[in-house]
Amino acid sequence: MHATICDLITDLVQNSIEANAKEITLNVEETKTNLKVVIADNGKGMSAETLEKAKDPFWSDGLKHKHRKVGLGLPFLFQTSEMTGGNAQIESEESVGTTVAFNLDQTNVDLPMFGNFTTAMITLLTYGFDGNLKIERSVDSKSYTVSKQELQEALGDLNDLESLTLLKQFIETNEEEING
Amino acid sequence: MAKMTLEELRNLRESKKKEMTQRDDEGKSAQIIIGMGTCGIAAGAKDAFDAFLDELNSHNVTDTKITQTGCMGLCFSEPTVEVDVPGMPRVIYGNVDDKVARRIVKEHIIGKALVSDHIFDKPAADIIK
Repeated sequence: MHATICDLITDLVQNSIEANAKEITLNVEETKTNLKVVIADNGKGMSAETLEKAKDPFWSDGLKHKHRKVGLGLPFLFQTSEMTGGNAQIESEESVGTTVAFNLDQTNVDLPMFGNFTTAMITLLTYGFDGNLKIERSVDSKSYTVSKQELQEALGDLNDLESLTLLKQFIETNEEEING
Repeated sequence: MAKMTLEELRNLRESKKKEMTQRDDEGKSAQIIIGMGTCGIAAGAKDAFDAFLDELNSHNVTDTKITQTGCMGLCFSEPTVEVDVPGMPRVIYGNVDDKVARRIVKEHIIGKALVSDHIFDKPAADIIK
């Protein structure tokens, strides 16, 4: 499994990007006992048959890398949820989109560390894709939301070093606020 | 630091833009492309990303972009990072952890010398056509 939950989230949101989603919503809700993550996209979606295959680590559609025989993104999610007493669901419809949702038990000793949320979000917000990414984040009763569109309006090119630096401050201060 | 709002973010960006009056973006800027596939993430590409951002800022390098890409087919040498500095060959570096990222900033981007012990010449054959 991935070393941190944030690595897992990054990997799963990239699936949405690679499915040509124009609108992705990432919801990360933390309480003392539960971590809930929902990733919803309007990308190309999968048929029921493809979705079943995608859960197999030794299957890949072979489109991205022609000779590759593994696809570990979703299997990492199921492995993590199964090993820590959580649950994970994927719903998908072709040409409509995919929603990945999971709940993990924060008190389980086998749960990987949460990881660095700020860096994970910066990398996703600045990953080169045309669509919008909306982040809804909460810890207990405190929350904030931010979208790539809003940030681009405020900062211009997000990949610029100055933008990246300000973006990091922005997310860091919002994270401090809700974790404080 | 107090929670930053989008309005503050906008104002800060505007004031920074004014500071850099004569900057020719497209012609001169260096580009750093970090491999953020499953393999890159698992190998710690996010640490490299943070190190690049931190080191570039601590040396006041401004005309640089950091972007990301998926797997470059060099999973065994992740995190992989492609560096394009105008006037120098495009180079793919492998095994770029925090320390190597900082070396790349100091030696390649600022010092204009390749970090030879971490170079891979090109992406794997199944990735390039």
